[in-house]
Amino acid sequence: MLTVSSLTPTQLRARLRGPGLDFQTGPFINRLHSNIPHLADGLAVLYGEYPLHESGGFANFHLDLSQPGGLRRWWRPQVRFDQDGQHPFKPLPVAQAQPFCEWMMNWCVSNRAHGYLIVHAAVIEKNGRAIILPAPPGSGKSTLCAALVCRGWRLLSDELALVRHADGMLVPLPRPVSLKNRSIDVIRAFSPDAVFGAIVHGTMKGTVGLMRAPADSIRRAAQVATSHAIVFPQWEADAPAMLEPLSRGQMFMRVADNSFNYTLIGAQGFETLAALAQRSAGYTFRYSKLEQAMEVFDALVGNPP
Amino acid sequence: MHDARHPWRVTEGQMLRRCEWDDEVVLFNDLSGATHLLSPTACWLLDRLAVNPDDVPGLATALEAELAAQAASDHAGNADGADSANIDHALLAELLADLHSLDLVAPC
Amino acid sequence: MTALASLPLLVRVLRSPDVAGELSLDQWDLLLRQAGAANLLVSLLFLLDDAGLIDTVPDAPRVHLEWARLAAANHARGVRYEVARIRAALSKLDVPLILLKGGAYAMAELDAGRGRLFSDIDILVPKPRLGEVEAALMLHGWASTHHDPYDQRYYRQWMHEIPPMVHVRRGNAIDVHHAILPETAASRPDPEKLRAAAVAIPGQDGLWMLSPHDMFLHSTVHLFSGGEFEHGLRDLLDLHRLMRRFDAEPALWAGLAPRAVELELERPLYYALRYTSRLLGSRIPPATLAAAERGRPPAPLLALMDALFMRALLPPHPSCSGRLQGAALFALYIRGNWLRMPPLLLARHLFHKALLSPRAAERA
Repeated sequence: MLTVSSLTPTQLRARLRGPGLDFQTGPFINRLHSNIPHLADGLAVLYGEYPLHESGGFANFHLDLSQPGGLRRWWRPQVRFDQDGQHPFKPLPVAQAQPFCEWMMNWCVSNRAHGYLIVHAAVIEKNGRAIILPAPPGSGKSTLCAALVCRGWRLLSDELALVRHADGMLVPLPRPVSLKNRSIDVIRAFSPDAVFGAIVHGTMKGTVGLMRAPADSIRRAAQVATSHAIVFPQWEADAPAMLEPLSRGQMFMRVADNSFNYTLIGAQGFETLAALAQRSAGYTFRYSKLEQAMEVFDALVGNPP
Repeated sequence: MHDARHPWRVTEGQMLRRCEWDDEVVLFNDLSGATHLLSPTACWLLDRLAVNPDDVPGLATALEAELAAQAASDHAGNADGADSANIDHALLAELLADLHSLDLVAPC
Repeated sequence: MTALASLPLLVRVLRSPDVAGELSLDQWDLLLRQAGAANLLVSLLFLLDDAGLIDTVPDAPRVHLEWARLAAANHARGVRYEVARIRAALSKLDVPLILLKGGAYAMAELDAGRGRLFSDIDILVPKPRLGEVEAALMLHGWASTHHDPYDQRYYRQWMHEIPPMVHVRRGNAIDVHHAILPETAASRPDPEKLRAAAVAIPGQDGLWMLSPHDMFLHSTVHLFSGGEFEHGLRDLLDLHRLMRRFDAEPALWAGLAPRAVELELERPLYYALRYTSRLLGSRIPPATLAAAERGRPPAPLLALMDALFMRALLPPHPSCSGRLQGAALFALYIRGNWLRMPPLLLARHLFHKALLSPRAAERA
């Protein structure tokens, strides 16, 4: 299978400006159009290993992230998201094109892919056991996810857990891990080998850095995983790393609260989540030191210390 | 305020799906599309009212009998920790009012 | 006649579902995007289901359609529940609860309702009872929107409905109408006549809907006197499906044009029959077409309307936009409001709407 890296920079830009770049993330084919050069460069860094598809087939999601023409081109240039002639979101400064692209790709999935129960959560896997980390902003989920992934855990997803209705398996959607502000430095120190795209300042989430997903995780995107545990992380200064069991009933309600489409799909959402809750142990997790967190998670999936 | 001797029933046409783990029940209401986390007692009330609309005194008596039967078969004692006799009618009325606000029960 | 090949892919499939059996993957890609833009994705799914074609759909687009099916199932449940809550709220008033549009199609399980997604429930009540109905709804958790005093007056004084109400807990909206066109409009279909002809919805205690003729004519009003065409193709498809109910007996087709005359709706009826047959190939008995000629506008006006409507009724997708589509939509918006309000009021309304009520745009 050809990957995005098989295109030269010129070819990559030509696709983006022309028929669109068709590339696959997890089970989805995205068709991306853009006239922004630094977005093309960012894609080459972050999406080089992802499968490339021929133009003109069927794509699940269509995204156009371009700089509109007109006078604004020169003064405070912007990037606008266009989907089938609609602009559901306000334009952003053009420097934020890459994170904007990530947010829009997430939006496409969470808005449409109702063949899965979609939870706002990270998912990682080791020893055939997957752990779901649901978390509202500010919980430190992405930092924890990035650290685990740098220590050999497979990345299934940083933002969107996809639970298949038919059998409750977790479907991978490995994409760059989105880190903010201090977390970027923390992870760089934790794992100097981690590859980042350009760091972007001044977004509504502060400074954002996208860490490339490990090649192995991308290669194994077709391998579903069984949920072993659902852990609600909360970073807290000076807290020793500790798991506290959570009742299944409480876990169910909290996962539903963190789901994009639990309510939208009605009874199917209930059935899928009930099966997931039955199969998974629930915990809350407090921590302050990443190294301690690594040990706790390893123990959770049966890794000897 | 609802008169304690006025009977309650479950909402008409209601269908519920449930999952029970330990002392908690997650309930999905097929009519409203809402999901609730309830105690086993609340679920027991819904099951009972589905078959037999009743008022607070009637429900209290039935609940007392149910708890007594459970205590008898469960030698370690009563799971809910409540006295097996003398269900507080005011608390029961409050529970029913809560279920009413969730559209799970309605006055007859 | 309309050149078939020049019609957008979605329209060709709606006319003739068999077309879907021969599409390439990139055509499926375009079809689903047009359907999504026109809010007809689920309707397309059911169309394919009913034509026995769903298994011929290639895997990748099939997955997309199945995603939409899940959302649709829950929508139907949501409508039934919302209608039940409304009925409960109004139960003490002894006002017959007449459902309009999507709510009626859904509760009566009409073909027109299958896969049709919408967000508001519309009901028709007698004008003198409006105050009581509004009060009962508020008691049960609905609150008025459009708090700007101008918008409030616009609705109450000039429109055929009170400002939409939204349930504070559930977030669903209800539109309470007392007529199907504003009192300021050129045509005044008598709501008393509509209510007198209303029929009970089978199997639904206490719920009513308009008669088959009136339901069809109301839908024509909505499309051909309204100003907003984002759902133009969907509304046209509604008409296409509603008219099939008249096939049940010849008297139904025969009575359509006379009823339109009675309700002062000959013009919208003419347009409805014209554009459903042109765009969707709807089968209409020649006698009905002849009888509907009464509503034909003068030639220059018809030529203009053809140019405007044949563009505005296409899927709102870039692949279907002619250069003129934006202008067509704007022209029809002005016309829509003109049909509802005398010119002086219209100018004042548009002026006010543009400068002082930005929030009103959300309603559109």
